[in-house]
Amino acid sequence: MTTTIIWTIAIITLLGALLAVVLYLVAKKFKVEEDPRIDEVEKVLPGANCGGCGHAGCRAFAQSCVEAPNLDNNFCPVGGNDTMKKVASVLGVEVKEKAPMVAVVRCNGTCENRPRTNEYGGYSSCRVKAALYSGDTGCSFGCLGCGDCVSVCQFGAIAMNPETGLPEVDQEKCTACGACVKACPKAIIELRNKGARNKRVFVSCVNRDKGAVARKACKAACIGCGKCAKACPFGAITVENNLAYIDFTKCKLCKKCVAECPTGAIHAVNFPVLKPKPAPVAKPAEVPVKAEAAPAQKEQAAVNPQPTEKKEE
Amino acid sequence: MNKLLVSPSPHIHTKTSTASLMRDVVIALLPAVVVSVLFYGLSELIVLGVSIASCVLLEYLITRYMLKRPSTICDWSAVVTGVLLALNLPATSPWWMVLIGAVVAIGVAKMTFGGLGQNVFNPALVGRVFLLISFPVAMTDWSATKGFIPGIDAASGATPLGLYSEGGVEAISGMNYLHTLFLNIGGSAGEISAIAILAGFVYLLARRVIRPHVTLSIWITVFVFSGIMWLIDPSAYTDPCFNLLTGGLLLGSVFMATDYVTSPMSPAGGIVFGVGIGLITMLIRYFGAYPEGMSFAILIMNSTVPLINKFFKNKKFGRK
Amino acid sequence: MKKTFSIGGIHPNDSKISSDCKINVLPVPSTVCISMAQHLGAPANPVVAAGDKVKAGQVIGEPAGFISAFVHSSVSGTVKSVGPRKDLAGNNVNHIEIAVEGDEWADGIDMTETIVREIPDNETIISRIKANGVVGLGGATFPTHVKLCPPPGKKADFLILNGAECEPYLTSDYRIMLEKPEQIVIGAAIMRQVLGNPRTIIGIEDNKPEAVKTMSSVVAKLKVLSPSFHGIEIMPLKKKYPQGGEKQLIDAVTGRQVKSMGLPIDVGAVVQNVATSLAVYDAVQKNRPLVTNTLTVTGDCLPGDRQRNFLFRIGTPLSFIVDQIGGIPEEAVKVVSGGPMMGKAISNLDATTVKGSSSLLFLTAAQTVRKAESNCIRCGKCTEACPMGLEPFLLNKLARNGMMEELEENAVQDCIECGCCLYSCPANIPLLDIIRIAKGDVIKIIRGRQAAAKK
Repeated sequence: MTTTIIWTIAIITLLGALLAVVLYLVAKKFKVEEDPRIDEVEKVLPGANCGGCGHAGCRAFAQSCVEAPNLDNNFCPVGGNDTMKKVASVLGVEVKEKAPMVAVVRCNGTCENRPRTNEYGGYSSCRVKAALYSGDTGCSFGCLGCGDCVSVCQFGAIAMNPETGLPEVDQEKCTACGACVKACPKAIIELRNKGARNKRVFVSCVNRDKGAVARKACKAACIGCGKCAKACPFGAITVENNLAYIDFTKCKLCKKCVAECPTGAIHAVNFPVLKPKPAPVAKPAEVPVKAEAAPAQKEQAAVNPQPTEKKEE
Repeated sequence: MNKLLVSPSPHIHTKTSTASLMRDVVIALLPAVVVSVLFYGLSELIVLGVSIASCVLLEYLITRYMLKRPSTICDWSAVVTGVLLALNLPATSPWWMVLIGAVVAIGVAKMTFGGLGQNVFNPALVGRVFLLISFPVAMTDWSATKGFIPGIDAASGATPLGLYSEGGVEAISGMNYLHTLFLNIGGSAGEISAIAILAGFVYLLARRVIRPHVTLSIWITVFVFSGIMWLIDPSAYTDPCFNLLTGGLLLGSVFMATDYVTSPMSPAGGIVFGVGIGLITMLIRYFGAYPEGMSFAILIMNSTVPLINKFFKNKKFGRK
Repeated sequence: MKKTFSIGGIHPNDSKISSDCKINVLPVPSTVCISMAQHLGAPANPVVAAGDKVKAGQVIGEPAGFISAFVHSSVSGTVKSVGPRKDLAGNNVNHIEIAVEGDEWADGIDMTETIVREIPDNETIISRIKANGVVGLGGATFPTHVKLCPPPGKKADFLILNGAECEPYLTSDYRIMLEKPEQIVIGAAIMRQVLGNPRTIIGIEDNKPEAVKTMSSVVAKLKVLSPSFHGIEIMPLKKKYPQGGEKQLIDAVTGRQVKSMGLPIDVGAVVQNVATSLAVYDAVQKNRPLVTNTLTVTGDCLPGDRQRNFLFRIGTPLSFIVDQIGGIPEEAVKVVSGGPMMGKAISNLDATTVKGSSSLLFLTAAQTVRKAESNCIRCGKCTEACPMGLEPFLLNKLARNGMMEELEENAVQDCIECGCCLYSCPANIPLLDIIRIAKGDVIKIIRGRQAAAKK
């Protein structure tokens, strides 16, 4: 009995030692030489492996940062400027700051604005639906509502609003990784400048049909009338193919265009809301209710109704 | 007529559904069920009832309250598992043993993998084997119970394979194959009538529920292998007909080896799978400690299915 | 033993309800809208402007590339507008809207019914087929003149005429085989001559015995008349869907299999639909452009006396056809253009007919509404059904996980989108919906790689 135990222990120990030597030799022979800085850079990255930077994952991004002469072409949208500063300090290089971005859904074709003209009965995926036909409304450009953007978002920042049938971006959670932009077959979602105090003005429509056609399909469509472009003092608005577009690098958030738009296609979000005038107690100074008061407020929900905007001016 | 419905092609769909396929399996099992109830009487009815009810109830409870999904009992697959489990147990099984078998079959073998379609092993067989290992005495208690047909009583005592395992070929020398075809001498409920099971097999083939590849290759392998062994030494090895007709080989090859989820996809894969089952069964029967090897053989081959699926694919159009 | 293709296939109920309805000439509507994208390839360029007077058969669109086709006016009248308009899928496509005035045909078009049996020389044939805008009417609408000029080094051993009409419900091909058999056979002889007299086989499924009989007797009659009709034979095929698929038909008739990503001409075969053959006859023998075609209006929910086979003018609004048969039947929830297996669901009845329109099919909720998806039970019904020998259940899983390399290894690019997998899935998994997208992605990757390799 004891001899059996002794033998067993001896053989196992010997085997273990032998295999350890083999492992050591193999590890030595196949060792991959890697820049140690890659590990260091990877440590300061968020580690979401979302691919928002255009690389396969955080490690690939770290490798690219280490190999590139400067950081101009590499940016981690999730970590933002803070992370890039850390990366720069690890590598000992300079980094330019980038304005924070956010995903913006440019469609306001709610169930009410854009009546359904047919019923979709296939697999619930925007890609499948888009490959089949123009969609279940009269608008062949707008949101298909199957939520491909929602399922690709790794940060839980997009959700479908069952009332409007449109996706809504949570600006606090959105990291501007761009996954939803790529996933949307209709190219409705755009990464835009987050703006000062999250204030943004944008055209919430991508319909390039002629005005009458677009208007017939959706009450809130951009009809390409060009009033906004004329009203813009900064030349930030261009109208091409019956569709207005606001260049966020030029927009100064004056909101003149918002007042001009006949269909309410231009949205201004996170601006202070004025209470309706007849409110007897309110004095003008007390009026502004900051959007910041409710940070988790959804973008669409914060859209100002048109009449109050006019009153502000 | 309101709004037009739009969806990608095809616009029509077969009437066959998961539920209709599973229902067909239950229908195919009916002859065997009827025979076993007639033969073993009330006690078999209780085993069947407990088995089916607990399988269905467990699936319902697990899907609704543990997985928080819509219940899947309407697809009839739990009923199939329940019937198969019951047919694999002795009629003398106490109700609590059946319940344990159902818990293992549905709870462990099926739902832990994600439910129908995800399991690696045949749930009913896992339940059966679990019971066989845990309660070996109760699981081989083939004492007769009162049947519903007066005059014909189930033979008590060991199954033919049990006799062979203990006493060799001489112990079974008096067996009558004609008897086996219709009403076997002792054994689990599903083993007693070859004709009833074959009727189910024909029904499944006619309804195009299964393809014959797996079943036939098991039969041929068992027949050929035991035939060779028997010719070499008839005094040590049982003959091919004996092996085909006894020990749940028919039940297993028709209803359990052909389970969609745990069998290969392609006909070629099915043949490999069947040959494997046949060989392992015969090796266990001739050289192993257990008298009958069908359950183990199927479970072992179940684990090779992903590999078989990878290597035995259908021929693709215009490719070598 | 009748021939059929070797792998997979399904047997849906063929439901040829309208097979006894003679071809009716559909009245000309007051306005037509003729699409510029009625063929595979680049849409045609409009060559008329609003206010122009046009005659029926006059060119209104010119090809915009090698793979493109002429478009002709199907009516005489005044051009009202040229511009984007929604097609049956709701996408914007250039259309020419014409207000109908009278029915005057352009010069040089023979509108008589006399049958012309003399076949002109090859050059005339090709130029007439091209000038008259003939495209394949079997579904893909590939320009016929391109298909009839095999690339150098490739020779056709077989010309196969597709009279299978394997899609359930459709009867337009069946009706033309009964009512215009001689024209079809002459069309076949014309194409045969262009291709250098290969063996010519007209494949017809055995659920159409009348068509087999009629076509056989016509071939026998013509063979006596002229040697140009020798080498044409009728082959009855065992009914199985998708027999009319190009690759499947070649396999069924010749036993040759087109390789992955290959073309029929690679195995020496050219396939044309019987309706195309009729269009070729009209174009070559009568100099008649492709402005009419036959269309079946059918469905289980459509009463027998409202079933139709119509000879329509291209550009006729679908709503006009619906009005002709007394509106959409009460029970219908879906209208399909084409067969129930591969046709397109119509989202917009204001859309108009095109060269390739073959049916308006009304389906009921019980027939067509998809049931809730459940777990794959690995029954293998999809692999059994796939005529390309693929494993749709596996492709579905790979596609949902975005595994492009594995998808290519498992030949997703070979999918012919016949719908057999989705049709036969007992768990109602939207296999084809997902595989179709994956196939597109993989083909894009393969093409990208080929382009990179060329550089």
